[in-house]
Amino acid sequence: MKINYRQTCILIFLSQIALKFLALPSLLYTKSESNSIFVALFLMVIDGIYAFLILNLAENSGEKNIYEFMKSCLGTVVTKIFLVLLLVKFALSMANISKGLEFFVADNLYNELSWFAYILPLAALIGYMIYKGIRNIARVGEIVCWFVLVGIIFITAKSFSGAEAESFLPLFKDGLSPLFESAFKYSSWFGSSTFLLLLFGKIDFSKKKTGQLVRYLLLAIVLVQFVYYVFYGVFQVTSPTHNFCLSDLSQFSSLHTSIEELSWLVVALWIVAQAVQLALYGYCFQQAIKYIFNIKNNVFPTIVVMLYVFVLSLIGDLIIGLEQIFLSPAVSVITICTQYVIPLVIFIAGKIKYKNKKPRNKNKDDNQQRADDVVTEHTFKQDDSQSETKKQDGKKGAV
Amino acid sequence: MKIDAQKVEERIKERLHFSSDIKSRAVKFFNCNVIIMYIAEITDNKLLNDTVIYPITSYSKTITGDKYAALRDKVLSSIELNELDVDEATDKLLHAHTLVLMDGAPKILTADMEKITVRAIAEPPNNLVIKGPREGFNESLKYNLALIRRRVKTDDLVVQNLELGKLTKTQISVLYFSSVADKKIVSEIVDKLKKIDIDGVVDSHYLISYLQKNPHSLFKQIGDTEKPDILLGKMLEGRVGILVDGTPIALTLPFIIIEDLQNSDDYYGQPIHVTLVRILRLVGVVIAVLLPGIYIALEIYHYKIIPLSFLVTIMNTTQGIPFSPFVEVIFVILLFEILYEANLRMPQYLGIATSIVGALILGETAVNAGLVSPPTVMIVALSGITFYIIPSQAGQFSVLRAVACLVGACLGIYGILLFCVYVLAYLSSFDSYNSAYLAPTAPYIASDQKDFMMRATINEMKNRPRSIANNRNNLRRRGK
Repeated sequence: MKINYRQTCILIFLSQIALKFLALPSLLYTKSESNSIFVALFLMVIDGIYAFLILNLAENSGEKNIYEFMKSCLGTVVTKIFLVLLLVKFALSMANISKGLEFFVADNLYNELSWFAYILPLAALIGYMIYKGIRNIARVGEIVCWFVLVGIIFITAKSFSGAEAESFLPLFKDGLSPLFESAFKYSSWFGSSTFLLLLFGKIDFSKKKTGQLVRYLLLAIVLVQFVYYVFYGVFQVTSPTHNFCLSDLSQFSSLHTSIEELSWLVVALWIVAQAVQLALYGYCFQQAIKYIFNIKNNVFPTIVVMLYVFVLSLIGDLIIGLEQIFLSPAVSVITICTQYVIPLVIFIAGKIKYKNKKPRNKNKDDNQQRADDVVTEHTFKQDDSQSETKKQDGKKGAV
Repeated sequence: MKIDAQKVEERIKERLHFSSDIKSRAVKFFNCNVIIMYIAEITDNKLLNDTVIYPITSYSKTITGDKYAALRDKVLSSIELNELDVDEATDKLLHAHTLVLMDGAPKILTADMEKITVRAIAEPPNNLVIKGPREGFNESLKYNLALIRRRVKTDDLVVQNLELGKLTKTQISVLYFSSVADKKIVSEIVDKLKKIDIDGVVDSHYLISYLQKNPHSLFKQIGDTEKPDILLGKMLEGRVGILVDGTPIALTLPFIIIEDLQNSDDYYGQPIHVTLVRILRLVGVVIAVLLPGIYIALEIYHYKIIPLSFLVTIMNTTQGIPFSPFVEVIFVILLFEILYEANLRMPQYLGIATSIVGALILGETAVNAGLVSPPTVMIVALSGITFYIIPSQAGQFSVLRAVACLVGACLGIYGILLFCVYVLAYLSSFDSYNSAYLAPTAPYIASDQKDFMMRATINEMKNRPRSIANNRNNLRRRGK
């Protein structure tokens, strides 16, 4: 079951914003202060470029999945090593999201929340979505995306007038090195295009519109920049103490004298986006397991993912220490390697391997055209009468 | 082989276990025995007399040659006749045909004499409209087909008849536009219908579990309507309609979830108003399903996010209530459901009294007795009323509301949000006859947004919805 190009763009958008609105702004501030806004911009632009590279490769790989594609370019051993590294990357990303989500839920919504009450329904939901496949995750993402977007804009816009632009000045007072250090140290929170590697052969490019991808990437970048601008502008030097960007913006902004009740419910919507993101990374995790161990069915890898999500809840102490793990140089090296080096190696190897091959025919048959628009298997051909309408419309300059 | 009328009559009666309603009348036709057989209760006696009995008994012209041919071609020439063997004729007798058995004839003559006794065509109680046609289907398949045929005067409309039920032999008609409906879907539906092995089909709902792909799912997967204009509108979008004799409810396939957010008078009203009404319906669905659950979650876990003045009001009214918010809400829901069920089945004059007793006295007394708080009554009542914004989904909303209450009581807002994602994920995963259940939202189909939450004018809807799998013929109209 394939997802269409628009759904892919939405997943990229959700992935781009997934980890950015919890602890990351305050963590970035400790290293690069209000210039952190540029760190986020820099890394998100890189992620955007990688999204283009990976999608280009996926489009030219035809029906091959990532395992088949890498195997044909790099051989079995390197492929398996890369897949293991990707597995680690997705495991870390899931841990990061799960940890952030749990802290957010426990600290903001409950006085006391049992780990089991938190993790059991979440693991069941993730397991269900993964089992149902990428099309299911993409469709849910398609629905929730706009609610989340409106919610975030609503919360941030309310505090916008309290943000002081002068607090960002002077720019780069310590030079650019803190920015690069910060980018290296917090790279685990970025790399939001890597998941696309696991979607090789699962995206229908028949209705590809490059402009659509650009729009979604820009939307994600502008949204993150807007939230960070308001966050740093409002909290300034106290930013490192505000570990929940969105909820703290609504709760502790100087503009608000009391708890902004409505905002809490809007913030709660964030949970939905995190759950979808967790399912997406869980799906990539599941696919990596399938490729590494050459498993055909979905049941066993799905159970492994659910157990992994569940295990995260059992090792509560480790979870608290996870933040330190994410900040360790070793993890930064691994994440940079999986996020930026592996996709680049695959891209170069793919280009070398297939440079003499004819590009894949983009005018695929009609079955492919429909892909996920209604359902993959349904044939939908444009009939003569419709082309006639298009001709008529064309004459009037409507098309 | 020549017929012996007496023996054939005996054989038919024997096959029908000498049922008392099988009538036969012997007459003479030029010294030849003729037996007329019919089922009195379903036969139009006047028609029988005027077109069969009287012409036979009063025929006075001279006949030379074959008497059977004369009976068939001259005496009974005013009616449409079939020439059948004994078994086929017996089946026809059960379908309100009259049999004419003649000594020495090679076949039995049969003619349709059905006495149609049906309810008048009226506005269906479940599909009331402010604007638009008020005709509704009744229990006669013939009448229902006529209501459709009257509106369609092209050769594009296909009516495919089937007979289902070993004991009832119920007539089923599958309707579709040959140039619009997807042939694969039509044949899939017809195949499924043909494979149904059941003793009887009493209502169209008997077919639902055979036609839906997830029979155990809570969610509705097949559309239904009692109005010919709605059925026709859906068929024009590429759907297939199924009419069953004996029921006014027509089924439509494929079904997508937004169909129930739309109403037939949406298409006869102002687009802006219709858009607002549709948004209202969607908000109504959210209130109906989630409001009691959210209320429970807020009271148990998240009272700190309730605005202070509102919290004080709630605290004042809930003081002294012996039950937890969950039990309180469930108690009121149960009360509401019991009253609803009682009202539905009681005689009308009692129903009004029960409503007053239920709503005013029971509710008021329960609040005064300190068993439930006023906010709980208000929230459950609001949720209960909003159910009927989309009455055809009331059953499943009721179940979802109960689950939302349970989840809200156990896990709070976090649980309710996960529950919403679970429902979305579940609904995203199934398709109804090649049509995505959540289309045109997921997958997003831009062209179909003209008739989703927002409704464009009819002339702006140039193409058929792509959410419904149809047969290539996507164009509804040409020109500006």
